[in-house]
Amino acid sequence: MSVATKHNVQVRGAGEQTMVFAHGFGCDQNMWRYVEPAFEGDFRTVLFDHIGAGGSDLGAYDRAKYASLEGYADDVIDLCRELGVRRGIYVGHSVSAMIGILAAKKAPELFEKLVLVGPSPRYIDDTEGYVGGFSEAQIHELLEFLDSNHMGWSQAMAPVIMGNAERPELGEELTNSFCRTDPEIAKAFARATFLSDNRADLVDVPGQVLVLQCSEDVIAPQCVGEFVHRSIPGSQLVILEATGHCPNLSAPEETIAAIRAFV
Amino acid sequence: MSEDGSSVSGEREAADDLEDLFEFAPCGYLSAQPDSRIVRVNSTLAKWLGREPRELVGRRFPDLLNIAGKIYYETHFAPLLRMQGAFHEVALDLVRADGSLLPVLVNAVERQDANGSVRFIRITVFNASDRRRYEQELLEARRTAEDASAELRKLNADLEMRVAAAVEERMKAEEALRQAQKMEAIGQLTGGVAHDFNNLLTVILGGLDTIRRQVSTLPGSPTTERIERSIRMASHGAERAATLTARLLAFARRQPLEPKPIDAGRLVTNLADLLQRTLGETIALETVTGGGLWRAQADPGELENALVNLAVNARDAMPGGGRLTIETGNAHLDESYVAQVAEPVAAGQYVLIAVSDTGTGMCAATLAQVFEPFFTTKDVGKGTGLGLSQVYGFVRQSGGHIRIYSEVGEGTSVKIYLPRLLNEGLVPESETAAAAAVTHGGTETILVVEDHDDLRSFSTGILRELGYRVLEAANGRRALEALQAAHDVDLLFTDVVLPEGMDGRRLADEALRRRPGIKVLFTTGYTRNAIVHNGRLDPGVNLIGKPFSFENLAAKVREVLDS
Repeated sequence: MSVATKHNVQVRGAGEQTMVFAHGFGCDQNMWRYVEPAFEGDFRTVLFDHIGAGGSDLGAYDRAKYASLEGYADDVIDLCRELGVRRGIYVGHSVSAMIGILAAKKAPELFEKLVLVGPSPRYIDDTEGYVGGFSEAQIHELLEFLDSNHMGWSQAMAPVIMGNAERPELGEELTNSFCRTDPEIAKAFARATFLSDNRADLVDVPGQVLVLQCSEDVIAPQCVGEFVHRSIPGSQLVILEATGHCPNLSAPEETIAAIRAFV
Repeated sequence: MSEDGSSVSGEREAADDLEDLFEFAPCGYLSAQPDSRIVRVNSTLAKWLGREPRELVGRRFPDLLNIAGKIYYETHFAPLLRMQGAFHEVALDLVRADGSLLPVLVNAVERQDANGSVRFIRITVFNASDRRRYEQELLEARRTAEDASAELRKLNADLEMRVAAAVEERMKAEEALRQAQKMEAIGQLTGGVAHDFNNLLTVILGGLDTIRRQVSTLPGSPTTERIERSIRMASHGAERAATLTARLLAFARRQPLEPKPIDAGRLVTNLADLLQRTLGETIALETVTGGGLWRAQADPGELENALVNLAVNARDAMPGGGRLTIETGNAHLDESYVAQVAEPVAAGQYVLIAVSDTGTGMCAATLAQVFEPFFTTKDVGKGTGLGLSQVYGFVRQSGGHIRIYSEVGEGTSVKIYLPRLLNEGLVPESETAAAAAVTHGGTETILVVEDHDDLRSFSTGILRELGYRVLEAANGRRALEALQAAHDVDLLFTDVVLPEGMDGRRLADEALRRRPGIKVLFTTGYTRNAIVHNGRLDPGVNLIGKPFSFENLAAKVREVLDS
């Protein structure tokens, strides 16, 4: 099975330069549904699912490999190499922002520009003044909660894909989940995400970097976006009016405009 | 619409009614902006959370959730709401004012205007405390069921393993029993045949003896020389046959043994010269004797035979030379050991004699058969297949145990365990010096009891020739009658096995009761009877094994009469 098939890759658009869109923790490539079409006219766009999410090949899941973000970064590199990406643009949301940085540092030829949407190199506050947004106790509470294998959680994805009379244009996707995810894999992904500390990886990031930061993001607070911006010399920081953690869904026009201005 | 205001009051009533429904419906209701910020919340939800509605207005809905809910709301459910326009029955936990959690099921739906823009989000909250408890119970029950099922699987596997082990154990035991029964059956058959053969050989040898004696009275001529040569050849053949039957009887554990207290270490040392000659120059012999060696109880002659037999086998297994080690030591066979050997062996103290070679060794299939008579791996004509059978029979008859360990290419070790001699001193060590051969006869009266007519006439012939007065009887009853009739019987010479209910031992007992002082000499080819306990002669009993020669009988009779 090719890397592209394993990752349920969709290649669209007509441009010379490739834009790769990477989804974060939660859901799948659908996260880009309101943003990606805006770039199809000028770029060759690539959408994919991380292994364990959406339409990816669950059989390719390797607990050891995906215990850290490095495993996901290696996938991005393999994927881009198979698709012949060179000097492209990487757009990564949430944890995939850091995955993109890891990939770009390992394979600098792949991307000339990185767009980091709601990045966080570390979610947990530390004692030396770093504010990640969560106390260690809170993250452990999250992980314990996931470990308790609450029936409501493990099956939470099932009810949400039912009827959607208001948005008939999404009918086709009702059979596919927007947020299809294996609960066990989601648990491991949560662990890899929320226990990660990639602050040291922010030095010597190749290419140009744009940080898109939402107002009032509880997952990646503004001070974290500013930390990333400060740590990567030459990077740009744009504070969006959008609130929450997913401006790509809640404020697609603003997000598109910010990315377009950068690329 | 009327002008008197009644419709106004009607509208107000309807509005009040709707207001009441919103505020006090049995579920929580709230309206939120597209960014989830709460603009209105009903009393039911506020009451569940232990707060005033106004405290909740202005906060974002995910802020009411516990930390896991907050993270999942931001990363999963808010995106879903945006993509699908709704989400249904998501299980979340709300945090009450006192910090406790309220399990809820949450539905959310986007309300849009004509342009498709989101006007507000309607969130409906159901108290799911009961449902969550059922879920917990279900999960618990499932876990219990899974545990039980795992336990059952394990139990099944255990059981299968135990059954397999038990079956294997059983099959081993049955195999051992079959082997033991086979050895017993072969022993019976061999013993019976050998016994009959012995009787025939006695007659043949006796006949040859008589011919020789008669010929010797004739004047010498070429004819008598030819006859004498033929007699020698026939005698030689018959004697070899007798040796063979003796070995068969040994295997069948029916050879008369004369167990004596022995020092196995000294016996081995004394035998070393002979063994070295048997082994030849290419094989080094080493004897190792343990200190403080117990004495054993066995027939020393037969033990020597056994060791020579083993040495010959070892030699044949080391055609290119090698080393033969004979070790002696004390050994203890415990209950657990004797439980796993096929044949009955008493637990206890034994003297061990181990004969180990560095030869070709034997495979398992050969090992299983080594003790069977006529089983041989040697070329035709090179071995009788009786050597190990004889050793086996001797050891078993001596109340001992034999074990062979062998590895192909490594060598073979035969371990002989002989019972330790207990109560030493009660059985005096017999003099081994054989009585000087005496061929002179006498004039005493001898009663010969033998059911085999040919044998009886052979014996009586010899005794008469020697000058004795001979009476004869074919069974015990007749013998007692003869004893009654003649008062001067000096010696009762009886076969051990007699027909019609009275064996030689009982006959002897009765004769001694009636005639105290009468001498008794037993004869037998076969010792499974009253006179020999477990193959051992009762101390003081006189016995001559069949087949016997003229000289043997003459000497033994004289010895007994003179004792």
